[in-house]
Amino acid sequence: MFHTSSEEDFRRLSLEIKLLENTAQVLQSRINFVNAALADLRMARMSLEGLSKEKKGAELMVPIGGGSFIKVKLEDPNTVIAGVGAGVSVEKTLPEALNSIKTRIEELEKMNETLNQRLSQVIQRINEGRTKLQKIAEELSSK
Amino acid sequence: MSEELSRLPPQVQERLLRFQQLQQTLQSVLTQKQQLELELTEVDQALDELKNLGEDAVIYKSIGSLLVKVGKAKITEDLKERRELLNMRISVLGRQEERLRSQLKDLQEKLQKDLRPVSP
Repeated sequence: MFHTSSEEDFRRLSLEIKLLENTAQVLQSRINFVNAALADLRMARMSLEGLSKEKKGAELMVPIGGGSFIKVKLEDPNTVIAGVGAGVSVEKTLPEALNSIKTRIEELEKMNETLNQRLSQVIQRINEGRTKLQKIAEELSSK
Repeated sequence: MSEELSRLPPQVQERLLRFQQLQQTLQSVLTQKQQLELELTEVDQALDELKNLGEDAVIYKSIGSLLVKVGKAKITEDLKERRELLNMRISVLGRQEERLRSQLKDLQEKLQKDLRPVSP
Protein backbone atom coordinates (compact mmCIF):
# COMPACT_ATOMS: atom_id res chain seq x y z
CA MET A 1 0.00 0.00 0.00
CA PHE A 2 1.19 3.53 -0.69
CA HIS A 3 0.04 6.71 0.98
CA THR A 4 1.39 10.09 -0.01
CA SER A 5 1.08 13.04 2.30
CA SER A 6 -1.45 14.65 -0.08
CA GLU A 7 -3.62 11.58 0.20
CA GLU A 8 -3.39 11.85 3.95
CA ASP A 9 -4.29 15.57 3.75
CA PHE A 10 -7.20 14.76 1.49
CA ARG A 11 -8.60 12.25 3.94
CA ARG A 12 -8.10 14.51 6.95
CA LEU A 13 -9.70 17.48 5.21
CA SER A 14 -12.70 15.44 4.03
CA LEU A 15 -13.32 14.34 7.58
CA GLU A 16 -12.99 17.88 8.87
CA ILE A 17 -15.52 19.14 6.32
CA LYS A 18 -17.90 16.36 7.24
CA LEU A 19 -17.70 17.34 10.91
CA LEU A 20 -18.21 21.00 10.05
CA GLU A 21 -21.24 20.12 7.96
CA ASN A 22 -22.68 18.30 10.95
CA THR A 23 -22.10 21.36 13.12
CA ALA A 24 -23.80 23.54 10.50
CA GLN A 25 -26.79 21.22 10.51
CA VAL A 26 -27.07 21.34 14.30
CA LEU A 27 -26.83 25.14 14.25
CA GLN A 28 -29.43 25.39 11.50
CA SER A 29 -31.91 23.24 13.39
CA ARG A 30 -31.39 25.38 16.51
CA ILE A 31 -31.99 28.52 14.46
CA ASN A 32 -35.22 27.02 13.13
CA PHE A 33 -36.29 26.20 16.67
CA VAL A 34 -35.57 29.73 17.91
CA ASN A 35 -37.36 31.22 14.90
CA ALA A 36 -40.47 29.14 15.57
CA ALA A 37 -40.46 30.27 19.22
CA LEU A 38 -40.01 33.88 18.10
CA ALA A 39 -42.94 33.67 15.69
CA ASP A 40 -45.10 32.27 18.49
CA LEU A 41 -44.08 34.98 20.97
CA ARG A 42 -44.54 37.77 18.42
CA MET A 43 -48.05 36.51 17.79
CA ALA A 44 -48.74 36.60 21.54
CA ARG A 45 -47.30 40.11 21.76
CA MET A 46 -49.50 41.29 18.91
CA SER A 47 -52.60 39.74 20.52
CA LEU A 48 -51.87 41.32 23.89
CA GLU A 49 -51.16 44.71 22.34
CA GLY A 50 -54.47 44.51 20.51
CA LEU A 51 -56.27 43.33 23.63
CA SER A 52 -54.92 46.21 25.70
CA LYS A 53 -57.03 48.57 23.57
CA GLU A 54 -60.25 46.66 24.26
CA LYS A 55 -62.66 47.13 27.14
CA LYS A 56 -64.76 44.69 29.15
CA GLY A 57 -67.63 43.31 27.11
CA ALA A 58 -65.86 43.66 23.75
CA GLU A 59 -66.80 40.97 21.26
CA LEU A 60 -63.92 38.75 20.24
CA MET A 61 -63.44 35.71 18.05
CA VAL A 62 -61.18 33.09 19.55
CA PRO A 63 -59.47 30.64 17.23
CA ILE A 64 -60.09 27.02 18.09
CA GLY A 65 -57.92 25.62 15.28
CA GLY A 66 -58.85 24.41 11.84
CA GLY A 67 -59.50 27.96 10.72
CA SER A 68 -62.58 28.08 12.97
CA PHE A 69 -63.53 30.65 15.59
CA ILE A 70 -66.01 31.02 18.42
CA LYS A 71 -67.53 34.28 19.57
CA VAL A 72 -66.75 35.37 23.10
CA LYS A 73 -67.27 38.46 25.23
CA LEU A 74 -64.21 39.88 26.95
CA GLU A 75 -64.75 39.42 30.66
CA ASP A 76 -61.51 40.65 32.17
CA PRO A 77 -59.28 42.59 29.79
CA ASN A 78 -56.55 43.13 32.35
CA THR A 79 -55.79 39.52 33.32
CA VAL A 80 -53.63 37.16 31.34
CA ILE A 81 -52.70 33.61 32.27
CA ALA A 82 -49.11 33.17 31.21
CA GLY A 83 -47.09 29.97 31.16
CA VAL A 84 -43.83 30.08 33.10
CA GLY A 85 -42.63 26.66 31.99
CA ALA A 86 -42.72 23.19 33.59
CA GLY A 87 -46.49 23.07 33.14
CA VAL A 88 -47.10 25.99 35.48
CA SER A 89 -49.15 29.05 34.53
CA VAL A 90 -49.53 32.24 36.50
CA GLU A 91 -52.14 34.96 36.43
CA LYS A 92 -50.59 38.26 35.47
CA THR A 93 -51.83 41.73 34.64
CA LEU A 94 -51.73 42.51 30.95
CA PRO A 95 -48.74 44.89 31.17
CA GLU A 96 -46.79 42.33 33.23
CA ALA A 97 -47.48 39.59 30.71
CA LEU A 98 -46.59 41.88 27.81
CA ASN A 99 -43.33 42.84 29.49
CA SER A 100 -42.19 39.30 30.11
CA ILE A 101 -43.03 38.38 26.52
CA LYS A 102 -41.01 41.34 25.26
CA THR A 103 -38.05 40.30 27.42
CA ARG A 104 -38.20 36.76 26.06
CA ILE A 105 -38.39 38.07 22.49
CA GLU A 106 -35.28 40.18 23.10
CA GLU A 107 -33.40 37.20 24.57
CA LEU A 108 -34.31 34.98 21.65
CA GLU A 109 -33.37 37.65 19.11
CA LYS A 110 -29.93 37.88 20.70
CA MET A 111 -29.61 34.10 20.64
CA ASN A 112 -30.66 34.07 17.01
CA GLU A 113 -27.99 36.61 16.13
CA THR A 114 -25.26 34.63 17.88
CA LEU A 115 -26.36 31.40 16.20
CA ASN A 116 -26.45 33.02 12.78
CA GLN A 117 -22.95 34.43 13.28
CA ARG A 118 -21.65 31.02 14.26
CA LEU A 119 -23.38 29.40 11.30
CA SER A 120 -21.84 31.81 8.80
CA GLN A 121 -18.39 31.20 10.33
CA VAL A 122 -18.86 27.45 9.96
CA ILE A 123 -20.10 27.83 6.38
CA GLN A 124 -17.08 29.96 5.56
CA ARG A 125 -14.77 27.27 6.94
CA ILE A 126 -16.60 24.62 4.93
CA ASN A 127 -16.14 26.61 1.73
CA GLU A 128 -12.47 27.21 2.44
CA GLY A 129 -12.01 23.52 3.12
CA ARG A 130 -13.77 22.57 -0.12
CA THR A 131 -11.52 24.86 -2.14
CA LYS A 132 -8.44 23.29 -0.56
CA LEU A 133 -9.85 19.83 -1.09
CA GLN A 134 -10.35 20.51 -4.78
CA LYS A 135 -6.77 21.71 -5.11
CA ILE A 136 -5.46 18.54 -3.47
CA ALA A 137 -7.70 16.43 -5.70
CA GLU A 138 -6.29 18.13 -8.78
CA GLU A 139 -2.75 17.58 -7.55
CA LEU A 140 -3.47 13.93 -6.90
CA SER A 141 -5.07 13.32 -10.27
CA SER A 142 -2.23 15.05 -12.13
CA LYS A 143 0.30 12.70 -10.52
CA MET B 1 -16.42 -0.57 2.98
CA SER B 2 -18.10 -3.79 4.05
CA GLU B 3 -15.79 -5.73 1.74
CA GLU B 4 -12.80 -4.14 3.44
CA LEU B 5 -14.33 -4.96 6.79
CA SER B 6 -14.80 -8.62 5.95
CA ARG B 7 -11.09 -8.93 5.26
CA LEU B 8 -10.31 -8.12 8.87
CA PRO B 9 -9.85 -10.93 11.38
CA PRO B 10 -13.17 -11.94 13.00
CA GLN B 11 -12.00 -10.82 16.42
CA VAL B 12 -11.29 -7.31 15.14
CA GLN B 13 -14.60 -7.21 13.29
CA GLU B 14 -16.34 -8.08 16.51
CA ARG B 15 -14.50 -5.34 18.35
CA LEU B 16 -15.42 -2.80 15.70
CA LEU B 17 -19.05 -3.80 15.96
CA ARG B 18 -18.94 -3.54 19.74
CA PHE B 19 -17.31 -0.12 19.42
CA GLN B 20 -20.12 1.11 17.18
CA GLN B 21 -22.76 -0.28 19.51
CA LEU B 22 -21.17 1.45 22.49
CA GLN B 23 -21.04 4.70 20.54
CA GLN B 24 -24.75 4.41 19.81
CA THR B 25 -25.53 3.71 23.45
CA LEU B 26 -23.44 6.71 24.50
CA GLN B 27 -25.29 8.89 22.02
CA SER B 28 -28.66 7.85 23.38
CA VAL B 29 -27.50 8.39 26.98
CA LEU B 30 -26.30 11.87 26.03
CA THR B 31 -29.61 12.70 24.35
CA GLN B 32 -31.56 11.55 27.38
CA LYS B 33 -29.32 13.53 29.72
CA GLN B 34 -29.65 16.65 27.62
CA GLN B 35 -33.42 16.34 27.64
CA LEU B 36 -33.52 15.99 31.42
CA GLU B 37 -31.15 18.92 31.82
CA LEU B 38 -33.47 21.05 29.70
CA GLU B 39 -36.39 19.99 31.86
CA LEU B 40 -34.39 20.86 34.97
CA THR B 41 -33.66 24.37 33.67
CA GLU B 42 -37.35 24.81 33.01
CA VAL B 43 -38.29 23.68 36.52
CA ASP B 44 -35.67 26.02 38.00
CA GLN B 45 -37.02 28.92 35.96
CA ALA B 46 -40.58 28.18 37.03
CA LEU B 47 -39.50 28.00 40.69
CA ASP B 48 -37.70 31.31 40.30
CA GLU B 49 -40.82 32.88 38.84
CA LEU B 50 -42.96 31.48 41.68
CA LYS B 51 -40.59 32.86 44.31
CA ASN B 52 -41.33 36.40 43.14
CA LEU B 53 -45.09 35.97 43.56
CA GLY B 54 -47.20 36.88 46.59
CA GLU B 55 -48.84 34.12 48.62
CA ASP B 56 -52.25 34.99 47.16
CA ALA B 57 -51.12 34.71 43.53
CA VAL B 58 -53.41 32.77 41.21
CA ILE B 59 -51.48 29.83 39.80
CA TYR B 60 -52.55 27.02 37.48
CA LYS B 61 -50.98 23.70 36.76
CA SER B 62 -51.50 22.05 33.40
CA ILE B 63 -53.00 18.59 33.36
CA GLY B 64 -53.21 17.47 29.77
CA SER B 65 -54.81 20.40 28.00
CA LEU B 66 -56.58 21.62 31.13
CA LEU B 67 -55.37 24.25 33.57
CA VAL B 68 -56.20 23.53 37.19
CA LYS B 69 -55.88 26.06 39.98
CA VAL B 70 -53.27 25.26 42.64
CA GLY B 71 -51.89 26.96 45.71
CA LYS B 72 -48.40 28.43 45.65
CA ALA B 73 -47.07 26.22 48.48
CA LYS B 74 -48.36 23.03 46.84
CA ILE B 75 -46.97 23.73 43.40
CA THR B 76 -43.64 24.90 44.81
CA GLU B 77 -43.33 21.65 46.72
CA ASP B 78 -44.28 19.65 43.59
CA LEU B 79 -41.65 21.40 41.52
CA LYS B 80 -38.97 20.92 44.16
CA GLU B 81 -39.74 17.21 44.23
CA ARG B 82 -39.49 17.09 40.46
CA ARG B 83 -36.19 18.93 40.62
CA GLU B 84 -34.79 16.36 43.03
CA LEU B 85 -35.95 13.48 40.86
CA LEU B 86 -34.44 15.09 37.76
CA ASN B 87 -31.13 15.70 39.52
CA MET B 88 -31.01 12.08 40.58
CA ARG B 89 -31.73 10.77 37.10
CA ILE B 90 -29.17 13.15 35.58
CA SER B 91 -26.45 11.94 37.93
CA VAL B 92 -27.28 8.31 37.14
CA LEU B 93 -26.97 9.07 33.43
CA GLY B 94 -23.75 10.97 34.10
CA ARG B 95 -22.22 7.89 35.73
CA GLN B 96 -23.39 5.75 32.82
CA GLU B 97 -21.81 8.24 30.42
CA GLU B 98 -18.45 8.05 32.25
CA ARG B 99 -18.51 4.27 32.18
CA LEU B 100 -19.29 4.18 28.47
CA ARG B 101 -16.58 6.71 27.68
CA SER B 102 -13.93 4.68 29.47
CA GLN B 103 -15.09 1.47 27.76
CA LEU B 104 -14.91 3.23 24.40
CA LYS B 105 -11.42 4.51 25.16
CA ASP B 106 -10.19 1.02 26.05
CA LEU B 107 -11.71 -0.44 22.94
CA GLN B 108 -10.33 2.33 20.76
CA GLU B 109 -6.81 1.66 22.02
CA LYS B 110 -7.20 -2.04 21.32
CA LEU B 111 -8.56 -1.34 17.85
CA GLN B 112 -5.72 1.01 17.06
CA LYS B 113 -3.29 -1.76 17.93
CA ASP B 114 -5.31 -4.25 15.88
CA LEU B 115 -5.41 -2.05 12.82
CA ARG B 116 -1.86 -0.72 12.90
CA PRO B 117 -0.29 -3.46 10.78
CA VAL B 118 -2.93 -2.96 8.08
CA SER B 119 -2.11 0.65 7.29
CA PRO B 120 1.54 1.71 7.17
